[in-house]
Amino acid sequence: MIQKKICMLGGFAVGKTSLVRRFVTNVFSDHYQTTIGVTVEKKTVAIKDHDVMLMLWDLYGEDEFQHVRDSYLRGSSAYILVMDGTRKVTLDTALALQQTAARTLGTVPFVSIINKADLQSEWEIDDGAIEQLRARGWTVLFGSAKLGQGVEELFLSVATQIMHGSPLPTERL
Amino acid sequence: MSSDLRRPRSESSLPEGLTSVQEDWTQLRTLLLAPEQTQLDEIRERLDNRVVQSGDVSQVLPEAFALRGDNDPQLSTVLAPYVENGFVASVRKSPRTIVDAIAPIIAPAIRQAIARALQSMTQSFNHTLDESLSVRGLRWRVEAWRTGKPFAEVVLLHRLRYRVEQVFLIHRETGLLLQHVATNGAVIQDQHVLSGMLTAIQNYVRDSFGGRQDQTLDQFQVGEWTVWSEQGSQAYLACVVRGTPPGSLREILCDTLNHIHAQHTDALAHFVGDEAPFKTTQPQLESCLQAQYESPPKQSSLKLSILIGLLLLGSVWWGWMEYQTHTRWSNLLAGLRAEPGLVVTEAKSAWGEYRLEGLRDPLAKDPTAMVIEAGLEPATVKAVWSPYYALDSPLVLARAHSILQPPTTVKLHIAGETLVATGFASTEWVRETKRLAVLVPGISQYRDEGLVTTSIPVLLAQINRAIIHFRSGSSSVEPSERAVLDVVSTTLRELDRAALQSGQRVALEVLGSADATGSAALNLQLSKQRAQAVLAILGEKRLGDGITLVPGTVQLSDQQGATRETSSLRSVTLRAALTAPEQVQETARP
Repeated sequence: MIQKKICMLGGFAVGKTSLVRRFVTNVFSDHYQTTIGVTVEKKTVAIKDHDVMLMLWDLYGEDEFQHVRDSYLRGSSAYILVMDGTRKVTLDTALALQQTAARTLGTVPFVSIINKADLQSEWEIDDGAIEQLRARGWTVLFGSAKLGQGVEELFLSVATQIMHGSPLPTERL
Repeated sequence: MSSDLRRPRSESSLPEGLTSVQEDWTQLRTLLLAPEQTQLDEIRERLDNRVVQSGDVSQVLPEAFALRGDNDPQLSTVLAPYVENGFVASVRKSPRTIVDAIAPIIAPAIRQAIARALQSMTQSFNHTLDESLSVRGLRWRVEAWRTGKPFAEVVLLHRLRYRVEQVFLIHRETGLLLQHVATNGAVIQDQHVLSGMLTAIQNYVRDSFGGRQDQTLDQFQVGEWTVWSEQGSQAYLACVVRGTPPGSLREILCDTLNHIHAQHTDALAHFVGDEAPFKTTQPQLESCLQAQYESPPKQSSLKLSILIGLLLLGSVWWGWMEYQTHTRWSNLLAGLRAEPGLVVTEAKSAWGEYRLEGLRDPLAKDPTAMVIEAGLEPATVKAVWSPYYALDSPLVLARAHSILQPPTTVKLHIAGETLVATGFASTEWVRETKRLAVLVPGISQYRDEGLVTTSIPVLLAQINRAIIHFRSGSSSVEPSERAVLDVVSTTLRELDRAALQSGQRVALEVLGSADATGSAALNLQLSKQRAQAVLAILGEKRLGDGITLVPGTVQLSDQQGATRETSSLRSVTLRAALTAPEQVQETARP
């Protein structure tokens, strides 16, 4: 079976872990994330009749106290940038993290997701900002970890990009 | 277009001028396109001919597969069902061929698995056997009952010095698991996730301490588990060890990792997440699943040896004692059976106690004495003897002695059922014995032809009649009188024997006498001398103990001169009489 390492990146409390929890059955406690800055989870998905095991490295949220470690990023086949639609600052964090990831990993596929779609009325990230991201070549998805919306599509999109270099069609919210 | 070339339109349906033009056109076309037409026909032929098609395809098929398969896994996906079906059909059609093909691969793996299982089972059995009876073993048995684990497993865990329970081969950069092996019974979390976490921990520790890339976390310990990691350039080994591993394990890990790096250089360098190439590392990783168990303490072994030795000695001693006792019992029985007058009818022995039943002649040997002689405790032998008369010769003889009370001068012996008496005996005893002998059990006849009988009164009379004469004035025994004295002496001996047989004593008085010639004093002196002379001669003959001599007795002539002749007055006479022993003693005293 093919295994792929994927990192979950994003600012503090954007919902990375919630998205992962929606996707996998956890083995380790969240406690490790705050201790060593990462929790590793696993999920197997089928891409065009191929089983792909996604090893999800859920990195602790980037904040002023803790930075993403380069060593955790190394070896990733792709990464996911998570933003909180209700906090525009998380978009800036995502941009910085993308720079860090690109510097460490080089050109690897990545997908961004704006979480908390269930609170869209409170969003600070507007369409203009989203369009700017897309203009940069980002794949921007929308989801709600709370409702479980867009989670499967997010990981399938990443897996598909890794395996074939082209994203699966996803339903935009 | 080709159909137009080959099939010109029908001439009959066209005007004449046009026909000519068409013919010219046809000719021109034929002249211009003949080579192409030929080639076209050949191509058509190749396309329509299936045999030719197959040949062409077969020539490019391998290259076509290689070309398509390099970049597109779709070919494998498409072919997979056909390959599977073909494999299944082949197995059904000729399973032997498949077996022959895969046997070299499967057989070693099966052998290894069986050997491991047997080794594990034997080890488990040995440990279980060692501990099954000890106090510690009982404690572990309670633990097994409490925890619900098999007893053998509990024993193994407690006796464990170290055991490599899991080995992870992990890609260093990605933290992805390349291969994983584990012992039976090891607690396994999700090995893929664990690989990622182990790698994350490695990175975290290295980053936290500012270590270089080649500085790694080689070991950490959690409770009874120790995790060792051995780093390579592309991959690293992580071992989960229960207990305290020895330093030699590190060398094994290092060798294994180097070997894997050497064998899978390309696969490691170009690793993109496919773990398939690393399946072949499984035997090497399994060789790292080492274990060592605590050997039973030597002290216990010594104690056990001593205990076994003591038990053995005890058994030998008990066996020897039993053998001795049995031998004594057998010897006793043999002795009892050989002993005249004893008949053993029943003999039993059980748990150190013995029981005897039988018949016993009252004159037979005492069985209790025989028990003591045999070396057995008389208290342990309970014997019930019923009395009977044995007909064995010794017992019949003893019985005859007991009843008949023969004098010591009589010898009895048995000839068949006849009692034979020889020797000397008084007529009274002989007479009584003739009456009683045949009444003794075991004796039907009595013979005493060899028995010399004597009568004390007759002997006394013979002695009392004897006279030893002396010449006048002489106190010397004349040679002619010696014969008389010899007869007297012989008679005295017989009398002595007879007296002893009858338990009586004889008092013998020697009376010296003289005639009236000469003075009385001289005659008195002469009488004494004559008595002493006879006594001296009789004393030389050594008379028996039954006769007491009373010397020095004098018979004066004046007292008897009126009735006796002169010659007979110069003599010595004897006076013997039966007397009680006390009287004799008193008489002998002066």
